[in-house]
Amino acid sequence: MKKGKSSSSAVARKHSHPQNGHVLPSKLAKYLDPDASLDKDQLLDAVHWIRQVLGLVCGLLWGTIPLAGAVWIALFLTISTGIVYWYYTFLLKIDEEDFGGHAALLQEGLFASFTLFLLSWTLVYSLAHF
Amino acid sequence: MASALSSLRYGDSLSVVAISAATAVLCEAISWLLIYRTATYNSLRASIERHSRKLDAMKSGGSSSTAAASGAQPAGGSSRAKKMDRVETSLKDAARELSLAKLKSGAVVAAVLFVVFGLLNSLFEGRAVAKLPFAPVPLVQRMSHRGLPGNDPTDCSMVFLYFLCSMSIRTNLQKLLGFAPPRAAAAAGGGLFPMPDPKVN
Repeated sequence: MKKGKSSSSAVARKHSHPQNGHVLPSKLAKYLDPDASLDKDQLLDAVHWIRQVLGLVCGLLWGTIPLAGAVWIALFLTISTGIVYWYYTFLLKIDEEDFGGHAALLQEGLFASFTLFLLSWTLVYSLAHF
Repeated sequence: MASALSSLRYGDSLSVVAISAATAVLCEAISWLLIYRTATYNSLRASIERHSRKLDAMKSGGSSSTAAASGAQPAGGSSRAKKMDRVETSLKDAARELSLAKLKSGAVVAAVLFVVFGLLNSLFEGRAVAKLPFAPVPLVQRMSHRGLPGNDPTDCSMVFLYFLCSMSIRTNLQKLLGFAPPRAAAAAGGGLFPMPDPKVN
């Protein structure tokens, strides 16, 4: 029984077929798989793009609602940093010392995502509400 | 489309973003033409990545061996340290050469950015192109409220919006196209003006 279970789970991991039947591209799946061994550049790239997507999504959301005030900048930074931390600590379960420490991981892509957030927030806010 | 844009109070912001995006694409095209496609650049980049991987492997190998046998092989330890120094020096030299190689395209790109900025300034001077959803700190307001009439801190000038566009669009475009400088080059501090090595007294 155990053997059958482990082999079936190994096959599932190999072909990136979650139980709901949707196929995850294998390129994307390795960035979500704690067993995949990402090198430093790959992990930092993943963190960078996660930050950019969060910046864009939060900016569009904050501008649509709309949210106004500098306090919402702090909320974005908290959410963005929290999600990145959750990603590499709890999803990938990596040892951050192997990748330059928390500072290197948390600051990757931060400035670009912050400017992207401000840009999208400002644009949506200006165009949709004035 | 023009009428739709003109009906928007801050439709100018879209023009600024479009011009910034086009400028970013143009600058990367110029950089590709002048530097990224050359054999020199590619070999320097490969050299930096090779040395960086070597250095990382030596550092991780060194930390595991010192944990396993503390002080058992002092001679081996010093020769390893010398090897690491050599690899680090090679890495810094390659990073510095990479910076020098990018100077030519950097000058052309700077000239293009200067012209575009001048054009945008002449088009949107004295006009608020967007409305900021927050009041910036006074230091940032010097850029965000530059050349604008009135005292409303949430009025956004072309300069600030252009700055946001440049930082976000250009960085991500470089990353997407694979033109971003290698992280090892920045970490090695091998720019044109390298910091003094703290290990050397």
